Amino acid sequence: MAEIAVKKNNDLDVTIVKKKNKLGAKIIAQRGLILMSVPILLYKILFAYVPIYGWLIAFQNYKPQIRNIFKQQWVGLDNFKKLFTGLMGDRFIRDIINTLGQSLLTLILSTVFAIVLSLMLNEVKNTAFKRVVQNITYMPHFLSWIIVTGLVSVALSLPSSGGFINSTLMALHLIKEPILFLSKPDYFWGIVAGSNLWKELGWNTILYVAAMTAIDPTLYEAAEIDGAGRYSKIWNVTLPGIRPTIVILLVMSTGYILQTGFELPYFLGNGVVVERAETIDVFVMRYGYQLGNYNLAVVAGIFKTAVGLVVVGLSNFVSGRLGQETLV
Amino acid sequence: MKLKKILAGTMAVCMLIAMSACSNSPASVPSSSSEDSGSNATSSTESSNKVVLSPDKPVTLTAWITTQETAPAPDNKITKLIKDELGVTIEYQIVTPDNVDQAIGVMIAGGDYPDLVGTTDLKLRLLEAGALRKLDDYLATGNYPKLSEYVEPYVKRMSYIGTAVEKGLYIFPNYNRFFGEIQGGTHWGTGFWIQKRVLVDAGYPDLSNMTLEKYFGLIENFMAKNPKTEGQPTIGFEVLAATGHEWGLTNPPQFLAGYPNNGGVIVDDKNVATIFADKQIAKDYFQVLNKEYAKGVIDSESFTQTFDQYLAKLATGRVLGMHDQRWDFGTANDALVAAGKPELTWVACMPTYEGVQPWYMDRDVMNINQGFGVSVTCKQPEVALAFLDTMLTDKWQKIISWGIEGEDYMVDKDGKFYRTQQQRDNYNNVTWRASNRLMALRDVLPKHNGSFDDGNAFSPDDQPREFFDSLLKYDQDFLKSYNKQTWRQFMNQPKDNPAYYPCWNIALSDEVNQINQQLTDANVQYLPKIIMGSTDSFEKNWTEYVDAIHKVNVKAYEDAINAGIQERVKNWQ
Amino acid sequence: MKSKRKTLTFENVTFTTINTLILILLSVLMIYPLLNTLAISLNDGLDAVKGGIYIWPRMFSLKNYEIVLKMHTIYNAFFVSVAKMLVVTFTNIIFTSLLSYSLSRREYIFRKPITILIILTMYFDAGLIPNYLLIKDLNLINTFQAYWVPSIISAFNFIVIRTYMKTIPESFIESAKLDGAGEFCIWWRIVMPLCKPTLAVIALFVAVGSWNSWLDTLLYASRAQNLSTLQYELQKLLASAMNSTVAKGGMAGAQAIAGTGGQVTTPLALRAAITMVAAVPILCVYPFLQRYFVVGLTIGGVKE
Repeated sequence: MAEIAVKKNNDLDVTIVKKKNKLGAKIIAQRGLILMSVPILLYKILFAYVPIYGWLIAFQNYKPQIRNIFKQQWVGLDNFKKLFTGLMGDRFIRDIINTLGQSLLTLILSTVFAIVLSLMLNEVKNTAFKRVVQNITYMPHFLSWIIVTGLVSVALSLPSSGGFINSTLMALHLIKEPILFLSKPDYFWGIVAGSNLWKELGWNTILYVAAMTAIDPTLYEAAEIDGAGRYSKIWNVTLPGIRPTIVILLVMSTGYILQTGFELPYFLGNGVVVERAETIDVFVMRYGYQLGNYNLAVVAGIFKTAVGLVVVGLSNFVSGRLGQETLV
Repeated sequence: MKLKKILAGTMAVCMLIAMSACSNSPASVPSSSSEDSGSNATSSTESSNKVVLSPDKPVTLTAWITTQETAPAPDNKITKLIKDELGVTIEYQIVTPDNVDQAIGVMIAGGDYPDLVGTTDLKLRLLEAGALRKLDDYLATGNYPKLSEYVEPYVKRMSYIGTAVEKGLYIFPNYNRFFGEIQGGTHWGTGFWIQKRVLVDAGYPDLSNMTLEKYFGLIENFMAKNPKTEGQPTIGFEVLAATGHEWGLTNPPQFLAGYPNNGGVIVDDKNVATIFADKQIAKDYFQVLNKEYAKGVIDSESFTQTFDQYLAKLATGRVLGMHDQRWDFGTANDALVAAGKPELTWVACMPTYEGVQPWYMDRDVMNINQGFGVSVTCKQPEVALAFLDTMLTDKWQKIISWGIEGEDYMVDKDGKFYRTQQQRDNYNNVTWRASNRLMALRDVLPKHNGSFDDGNAFSPDDQPREFFDSLLKYDQDFLKSYNKQTWRQFMNQPKDNPAYYPCWNIALSDEVNQINQQLTDANVQYLPKIIMGSTDSFEKNWTEYVDAIHKVNVKAYEDAINAGIQERVKNWQ
Repeated sequence: MKSKRKTLTFENVTFTTINTLILILLSVLMIYPLLNTLAISLNDGLDAVKGGIYIWPRMFSLKNYEIVLKMHTIYNAFFVSVAKMLVVTFTNIIFTSLLSYSLSRREYIFRKPITILIILTMYFDAGLIPNYLLIKDLNLINTFQAYWVPSIISAFNFIVIRTYMKTIPESFIESAKLDGAGEFCIWWRIVMPLCKPTLAVIALFVAVGSWNSWLDTLLYASRAQNLSTLQYELQKLLASAMNSTVAKGGMAGAQAIAGTGGQVTTPLALRAAITMVAAVPILCVYPFLQRYFVVGLTIGGVKE
């Protein structure tokens, strides 16, 4: 009902505006909104876009001691060529694949499980219990990656080193010999996604749980009258209710597809699994910052941004085409 | 009407919070001009204006220090002493090594430096960015006798010889410029370590002319007799390969072949460096490891564990041997000593190939890439140098290193310094140190390493009496059985270091550093496969590894190292 | 009341039981890391290195906490962290909601271009040095302002708030307009109170982000000790306890490190205590904000 009212009002608004039909008049009429948004936009432009001139160093043989960025030596696309060709190129492309693999797997797992956990929490009628569970599940978010990677690598080690995953699997007779998980390249993406899941699951549910509380209770009542069971209500009321949230979050995160945190692959990765472990950020850490090679970091950053923009643009477009939420 | 009030209200609250929050940050202006001490006419380097530090002319020096040490507490007694006696206040900007890459980048880009800059990286980014003053002319004035004394015999070695800025002296190296006799009982460097109980069990075997075969023989025998240690499986040999500690895996071949630690290269008699990773000396070593792995002597988790896990295993006492450097596994050693199990700690062996003299221990190398420089934006370079000069006097060196006589250390009737147990415990307490020592400053200051004129060692750790007092009964007996007094005596007598030594601190260009990193990466990726692979596929795996090495531009790397060697041979003589 | 009867069906009982069991299991799995960290932090440092401590300390010791809490810089740093968190959260809520409100109004002529420009900032990062130079040129280096001025708007939070605001019935706003209220008045008096749940979530996100950040201290305020934050001080303390990371140059610093050996605790245990000290204050924020979540919040509620 409210929706209809909104639409009507909206139509009304549009017709009113059309009647005036003069930009100047509109600006005067909307001066309040302009006053609210334009200064903030300018502010944001200052802090987010103005420093982008720093990307120029991607096309330079940048030396920080020459302060003026416009007086550096220009080298055209040399830095990009270096990154994408030869031995470095092979490696960088491998790292792109690893980044994609790790972040896609993480994205899918975290989204699915966060939704499932939110649904489960939503079904809990005892408020105290619900709060306790929520408070506990979001705690790992506050541990640093170095602590989490420490715990993960112990959990995955041999039973004699405290590896309880191996102990459990052996006790259940699922395996005979302990598995050295961190020496199996094929497991690595899964280990990264699993660790991420463990750390961020509870945190990721916050928005979903909050979104569920906003669902109109009358919708549940109506479904009950139609004879819907519990699962049916989840499927037909709750999920559609949070669908916009899911879609918006998914669309937004697709833009970060190349921005995996560097800590997990850096601390958990080792020579044996490096083929699947090294990501763009780890590469940039090793060959960029640690060697004082700032161009490399910027070149990789530009690449990541470009890919991110294309992907987020595409997914926003697709989402719109499918009649779902869009960012703009 | 109303809305304006509301808006004004929110803004006001917002500003108020912001302002009240920043009002407790007074006078933290980085430019440290302070009350000018008058005598130091800025920018001039003439000899006439010798600065005398005195409490009547208070000065403030800002100092950037890259260190793991924390800043002193406000009530620090040495800070107070320096202020009272010299009138100098130091404002610290302390950056930890983990963060230094980012912090140096923005500092250089910003171009605003503190007065004293403690550089600590091999690339000398700050120096090459033109952040530091050339110091030769200042020293030539003769106003800084202690600094001159510190620098003089080694000035060529300490000077920058690259091409980015004018050649000359820019920093005062912070460690291992030795004076007098080098004392000390602990060997902090490299070795193939073996647990003391293994040697005791084998009846204190002769450790000279050690070979890999003998070394692993001892381990295997002991392992066969003691498959468990405190209920856990005994581990024969642990390979250290954790991120940042890869040298534990890659360094041994050069030692086995009788070369000193030059990082990734060996240097022949004609001063020509070549990498050894793909050579026979490496192949032989990794073949031995491959065989030992097949026998179950080497821990299968060696290559997948984090450094914490490595230390944890060592600390349980079930690891019989490993190749590492003593300082690197200090925590594990301390944990075992604290648990009263000295028999589970290690002593260093020096296995070599047939007919080769070991060169595990080298003459301690001067830290030419670390230390204080004076920045170009420092408005009072004479004051900064006068401060460093004063700090180099014996009096202040003792305060910096030992503390205050009677409070932090005692003097026996022969004039030798020693500490009571309480004083040692104090020193080991981080909180105490924050109030009573200037650890961060000490880390970067030029030091009187070795001995003072009165025969005392520069630092308590090197004082012979301190060393013996801290030995446990078990260790005393152990040493006696080997007819030795210190752990250092288990090592070779270090030969004179070659003129260019060591190659690992030759500053390399970005390109070459990348190649170096690629070599490390190839090692870390392929060597575990070689070691953990079946002994039958050793040759195949080795070839694969060598191919990977040869894909990297090794020549460019060797050329750069050789250029560095030649430059040093030419300039350092 | 109708539903009372239904909850007693077999299906519902099984569902509730299984659901509860899984949630309990999950909670155990999730609380483990924190309990483990707590146990290690309360254990003797040298003993902890051996591993094998799970949820109960083996050799109880308060030494690690003593070291952390006796650090002279920590109390000032705590207050700076709190002040920073409050200011950042407050300014974020005000400015982001102001922007969100204006861009949630469908008739606003600049809505689309401004929205696009704001959203794109999520994916652009100029990098360390240009950002630093901007802050420096604005004379914010080594001032408290460097903590909050650059970050009063977050695009992500903007999307969340704006999408929620879109669900507010237009009629509310229209009737306010008829009463002669201006845009600022509508935003503050009508829209903001309706958005409490969203704002609570955003406040949580911003507060936690601000609390956990330390890079801003390193880059923008490391020369001003009195502006140092808790996280940054703890970071430095941790580094001082780590006596094994100077391996960059192979052997460089062997002597340097040796000189400080014989610590009374170990990096492992100290790290655990530091983690607890850093996390516990911020963990208290969530339960406090939780009560706002009971009322609605949606992101992407109503379609255009």
